[in-house]
Amino acid sequence: MPELDRRNFLKLVGASAGAAAAAGCSDHVEKLIPYVVQPEEITPGNPVVYASTCRECPAACGLHVITREGRPIKLEGNPAHPVNRGSLCARGQTSIGRSYHPDRFPGPMKRNAAGALEPVPWADAISAIAAAIARDPGKTFVLGGEVGPTLSRLVDTFAQAVGAGGRTVYEPLAPEALREATRALFGVASVPVFDLTDVDLVVDFGSEFLESGPSPTEHAGQLMDARDVAKRRGDTARLISVNPRLSLTVDNSDEWLAARPGSEGIVALALARVAIENGAGAPEHKALLGTLLAGFGAEEAAAQADLEAADLVRVGKALARAKRAVALPPGPALTSRRAVDTAAAVLLLDHVLGAVGRSVHVPPAADLPQPSYRDVLALVEAMKAGNVGVLLVHDANPVYSLPRASGFAEALGRVPLVVSFASAADETTAQAHFVLPDHTPLESWGDASPRPGVRSLIQPTLRPLYDTRALGDTLLDLGRAVGGAAAAALPQGSFRGVLETAWTGEDFRGALAKGGSFTSIPSAPVGLAAVSGLEVVAPMLTGGGSHVLVAFPHAFLHDGRGANLPWLQEIPDTVTKVSWASWAEVSTRTAEALGVETGDTISVETSAGRLEAQVYVRGGIRDDVVAVPMGQGHTVGRWASREADGEAGVARGVNVADALPAGVDERGGRAWLTERATLASTGVHRRLPLLQFADNQRQRELAESVSLVSLLEGNGHAAPADASHGGAEAPHGEGHGAANGHGGDHGEGHELKVPFDPAKDAAEASAYRWGMTVDLDRCTGCSACVAACYVENNVPLVGEDEIRRVRPMMWLRINRYVGEGEPELVPGRDHPLESRERLGDTDVRHLPMLCQHCGAAPCEPVCPVFAAYHNEEGLNGMIYNRCIGTRYCANNCPYKVRRFNYFDNQIERWPEPMRLMLNPDVTVRAQGVMEKCTFCIQRIQRARQTAKHEGRPIGDGEVVTACQQACPTSAIHFGNLRDPESQVSKKAADPKRGYHALHVLNTRPAVTYLSKVLRGKVEG
Amino acid sequence: MRWDLARRPETAAAAIAAAVAILFAAAGPGGRAGAEDGALVAGSVCEAQELKARKAEEPDLAIEIPPQFDRPFPTLMACRSHEAAWDPEAPGPQQPIPFSHKHHAGEYGMECLYCHSGTERSRMAGVPSVELCMGCHSAFPQEYDELEGIRILKDHWERKEPIPWVQIHRLPEYVKFQHQRHVAAGVECQTCHGPVEELEKLSMVPDRKWWQYGLPTNKLEMGWCIMCHREMGASEDCFTCHY
Repeated sequence: MPELDRRNFLKLVGASAGAAAAAGCSDHVEKLIPYVVQPEEITPGNPVVYASTCRECPAACGLHVITREGRPIKLEGNPAHPVNRGSLCARGQTSIGRSYHPDRFPGPMKRNAAGALEPVPWADAISAIAAAIARDPGKTFVLGGEVGPTLSRLVDTFAQAVGAGGRTVYEPLAPEALREATRALFGVASVPVFDLTDVDLVVDFGSEFLESGPSPTEHAGQLMDARDVAKRRGDTARLISVNPRLSLTVDNSDEWLAARPGSEGIVALALARVAIENGAGAPEHKALLGTLLAGFGAEEAAAQADLEAADLVRVGKALARAKRAVALPPGPALTSRRAVDTAAAVLLLDHVLGAVGRSVHVPPAADLPQPSYRDVLALVEAMKAGNVGVLLVHDANPVYSLPRASGFAEALGRVPLVVSFASAADETTAQAHFVLPDHTPLESWGDASPRPGVRSLIQPTLRPLYDTRALGDTLLDLGRAVGGAAAAALPQGSFRGVLETAWTGEDFRGALAKGGSFTSIPSAPVGLAAVSGLEVVAPMLTGGGSHVLVAFPHAFLHDGRGANLPWLQEIPDTVTKVSWASWAEVSTRTAEALGVETGDTISVETSAGRLEAQVYVRGGIRDDVVAVPMGQGHTVGRWASREADGEAGVARGVNVADALPAGVDERGGRAWLTERATLASTGVHRRLPLLQFADNQRQRELAESVSLVSLLEGNGHAAPADASHGGAEAPHGEGHGAANGHGGDHGEGHELKVPFDPAKDAAEASAYRWGMTVDLDRCTGCSACVAACYVENNVPLVGEDEIRRVRPMMWLRINRYVGEGEPELVPGRDHPLESRERLGDTDVRHLPMLCQHCGAAPCEPVCPVFAAYHNEEGLNGMIYNRCIGTRYCANNCPYKVRRFNYFDNQIERWPEPMRLMLNPDVTVRAQGVMEKCTFCIQRIQRARQTAKHEGRPIGDGEVVTACQQACPTSAIHFGNLRDPESQVSKKAADPKRGYHALHVLNTRPAVTYLSKVLRGKVEG
Repeated sequence: MRWDLARRPETAAAAIAAAVAILFAAAGPGGRAGAEDGALVAGSVCEAQELKARKAEEPDLAIEIPPQFDRPFPTLMACRSHEAAWDPEAPGPQQPIPFSHKHHAGEYGMECLYCHSGTERSRMAGVPSVELCMGCHSAFPQEYDELEGIRILKDHWERKEPIPWVQIHRLPEYVKFQHQRHVAAGVECQTCHGPVEELEKLSMVPDRKWWQYGLPTNKLEMGWCIMCHREMGASEDCFTCHY
C-alpha cells in the first residue's frame, strides 16, 4: 500500500469535508432573475453612465452616476461640468449612500395615538393634511432648506396658491453675512462667486475654502493649478491664511497669521491700508486712507489681532505688488456678531486689489427666496405664540441644527400639525405628525443654478426603492387636495413636467446627456457704494470665560447633514484624524493649564449652555481658543446617533449649537462666534477613536519637501534656505536629489542602498508595469480619494469601537505630518505623541498612503499560501480565496496598508438595502481574509478587455483609478511605467521632487511621491 | 418563487394530464384503450401527436383522436421537449418553466447569442428577458397554450414578473469570468457549458476531454480552467480572474 503522503491525505480530508459541506448547503439555490423588459441601453455586466448634479452643498457639482443593472453604484465628477471639472469631494462621493440608507422611510407615515409612526396610505395622508391647511391657510408655513430654482419656485407657487402664511428658507451655514456685506458695499444682495483661476496671491480670512467653503472641489483645483511649480515656476501662487486654528486650508497655506478670532475685518482693513499706501487701488481707495482706514494702521491692527505689525506690512506690500491677488471672507466658524462688517472689510480689500470683477464675481440679486435666519427666528416666535397651525418641513433638520436657545423644539410642540418630507429618520421627523418621504436625489428630477450661466440638471438614475414621492409632486398633490383656487393656481401635470417647462428654450435632452446647460456669462461690473457705514470693531463676545469657543463646520459632516452616512463618520477628519466622535481642540498650553491630555473629557461652559467633549491637544491652535466641530450630537439615526453601537437614542458626540445662543449679526444673520467659554477637566478619560497618533514622521522621509528656491535654482540639493524664501523652519526647506540618489542635508541622510527603476519590476515580456505618482504639492488632504476608494472597492465599515482598536479597513489613508520630525520618540509617552504643530508654522504634509505595489514586497515572501504574490505586470496581488488569514503579510508591511477582516464586515454591518450599492466587479471579502489596495485591478481589467477587443495595447489614461478620478487637484496619476511617454512615467522621472517612501528598505515601490514645495513667506 | 401548482387548479389538472401521458408513453400503449374496439384514444393534443407518430410507424395500430385534439400544434417535437424538460428523473434542477435548450438551440438551431446577447459585449452572457421570449411566442398559434410552460410564460408576461430561473453554471463571487473575452478567443459555448443543444433539461455535464488522462473533469473548477488556459496559452495570473 503506498504511503499516504501529505498531499493525498489532504485530498481525502478535503473530499470528505467537501461532501459534508455539499450536503449541508445543497438547499442553497441561486436564482437568475432576468428583466421582464430589458432596457435597450442596459447590458448586464456593463456600466451605464448618466449625468446629474450633486445636492450635498450649494456648489452643485456635476455628477456622472455609474449604474449597473439599473442601480447606481458610484458617483464620479462630470468632466464637462464647469464647477468641478470631473472630480468630486468625499461628501459627494458618499452621498450615494442616502439612496440605500436603512433609515429610509418605506412610505408615508402618521403618528398614532401611542406616539409611534405607522404607515398610512398616501391618499389618506394627503387629504388629512390638505384639510388642515384648508381650515386655516394663513396659519400654514413652509420651512425648508435651499432647493433648486425650479423646485424653489414650485414651493413658492404652492405657498401662494394655498394662501400659506409664509415660506422660510433655512440653511444653518448660509453665507448671509456675505450677502449682506455685498449689499452694503456694492448695492447688490447676492453672494459673490469666487474664482481662483490664475491667481497669484490668496489671503484667506477663514473661509476654509479647501474643506467646507462655498465650492471646495472647484477652488482646490483652481488653487493648485495656480500653484503648479512646473508651469508657474517662481510665479506660483501663494496662500496666506488668517485663522485661529490650523485647519485644512491653513495646512495648505504658505503663511499663517494666527489672528485673534473675530479680528479678521481689522486685519483686512490694515492690509488694505498698507496695500494702498504701496500703490494698490484707485484714487477712490486713496481717499479712504483719511477716513475709513484712518484707524487701521499696522500697529493698531496688529495689537487688536494679536499679530506682528511687521507681518501685516509685509503681506500688505506683497498684496500691492501682486497682479492677481484675492481675499476670501470668513466662513461660518468666524461669523461673529460683527460678521457683515467683517465680510465687507474683506470685500473692500478685494476691491482695493482689483479682484472684484476678476476673481470675485457679484451675480445679480437672486429672484428666489434666500436663506434668512431672521425669518426662522420670527417663525419660531409665531410657533410659540400659537400662530402656526401646519408646518411643512423639507430638506432641513431644524430640531437638530437650530440652537437649543432658540426654543425651536419646544415651539414645535405647540404646532398642531407638523409634516416632514425627509426621506430618512432624523430629529425633526421624530417630532412630526406626518412624514411624507421625498425621493433621494438619485431618484429625483430637479435642477440647480449655482451661478449665472450654469444650469445643472438632476435626473433620476434609480427607480424609487420605496413608496416615496418627489417633494414637488407631493406639494402639487397637497395643493390639488386643498382644492378650489389653490388647485387652479398650481401647474398641471407632474413635477417633471414643471421642470421641462422651466427649461423651455433649452435643449432639454441635450442637457440631460451633458448634465446641464453651461454658458459663460461675464459678470456685470459693480461699483463701490457707500463704505461710510462700515464699522469694523473687535467681536462682541458674551460670557466670562477665558477661551473663545470656535464652532467650525466638520469637513465631512458639515452642519450635521452628513452624520448619518457611515463613510463620513468613519473617514478620519482631515486634520485631527478623529472619526466617529466629537472633540474639543485646545492648545498644548491650555491642556497643561487644565491638566488634561488627549482623550480626557473637558466641560465647555458658556452663557448659553454646557457641553462635554474629549480633548484633542495640539500646537496648532491659539491659546485663547477652544474649537469644537459641528455636525455630531444627533440622537436619531443609525450612525448619526449611537444606535448602530446598540445605544438607540443616545447622542454620538455633542452638538456644539447646544452651547451657543441664538446669536445674530448686525443684519440678523446667524452668528457662530459669540461666546467665551470656561473650560474644566471632568477627570474622565477615554481613548479617542483616532487613526494617527503622531504628526511626527521622525525624519523617515515619508513625506518630503523641497524649497521653492532650491527647486528653481536647478539644484536638487538645497542651498541653505534664504530667510525670506525658506520654510517657516528653515531646516525643512531642503531638496532631495534624483529618485535613485537621495541625499538631503540631514547630516547623515538616508542613502538608497540599491538604486532602482520601478519600471523594471515586472516580467520582462510584460508590456506594462503599473505605477502611480502622488504629488504632495497638489494634495490638500481633503480625503476625496479615501471616500472614492471606499465606495469603489466595497471597503467595509467597522464602527467606532473597532476604530478605537485601530482596526480600520480603509485601503487608502492620508497621513498628516508636521515638518521632518524628531528622530527619537519622547520616552514615556505613548499615544498620542506631543503635537509638533506651532502657531504660524504651516509646514504640514499630507501623505496619501496606499499599497505601494513594491517590486520587492516584504508581504509576499511571508505568505505561506501565495495569497500575496507579485504578478507579471508588477502588481502586488492579494487573492482573497487563497488567503487563510495568518496576517504575516500585514505584520511585514512597512507601510501598514494591509487590512484584516476580523469580522464578516459587510454581512454583519451592512443592513439592507445597502448591499445594493456594492460594486459587482469587486469581491466582497469574507471574515478572516486580508485585503488591501489593488490599484483598482477591476478598472485595469476592464480597460484591458476593451483594448484587447480592439486589438491594441492599453493606452495612457485609459485606466483611471478611483482615487485618481476623485482627486479635485489631480494630485494622483496612474499608468504604465514601461511607456516612457505616459504621464505617470514623466511625472515619476521628476529629478528634484520624485522620491519613494521608506526607500531605504529597498522595497522598490511603484508609487512615486513628488515632494511638497515649501514656498516660504511672501516677501515684503 | 416557485410555481405553485396547488394554488392553480387548472394548471394542476394539466400537470396531471401530462404525467398520465408520460406514464402511458413509458408503458407503451400511448393512450387510453377505447371503450369498444380497443383503439387508443388521445386525451390531449400531445397524446394525439404521440399516437399519430406511433401510427406512422405501426400502421395497424387502432387509434382514436377526438376532434378537439386533432390539431397541428403543439408539434410532436414541442410536446416531447416540454415533457422531457420537466422530467424529475433527469439530472439538473427543476426550472420554473420546462424550457428545453435542445428544442430551441438544437432542433430549431437558434443561435446561443440570440438569447444570451451579452456574451459578445459583456462580462455576463445574460438571461433573456421575458419580453424576448414573448417576442417569438406571442406570434405562435393560440394552440400552443396547450403546453403548461407556454401558459406560465404568458402569465409572467401579463403580470410583468420575471421568471426565477435556477442557476446551473455558477462561479463563486471571487471569480470574475469574462464571457466577452472567451468568445472572442474562439472558445465554444459548449466547452464550458457542455452540449447544451442536446439537453432537454439543462444540467452540468462532466467534461469529456480530460477524463481519459485522469485530469479534473469537473467543469468550472479552477484546475479545469487552468488546464485550458495552459493549453491555449492564456494568462495564468491570479489577478486575471480573482479580484
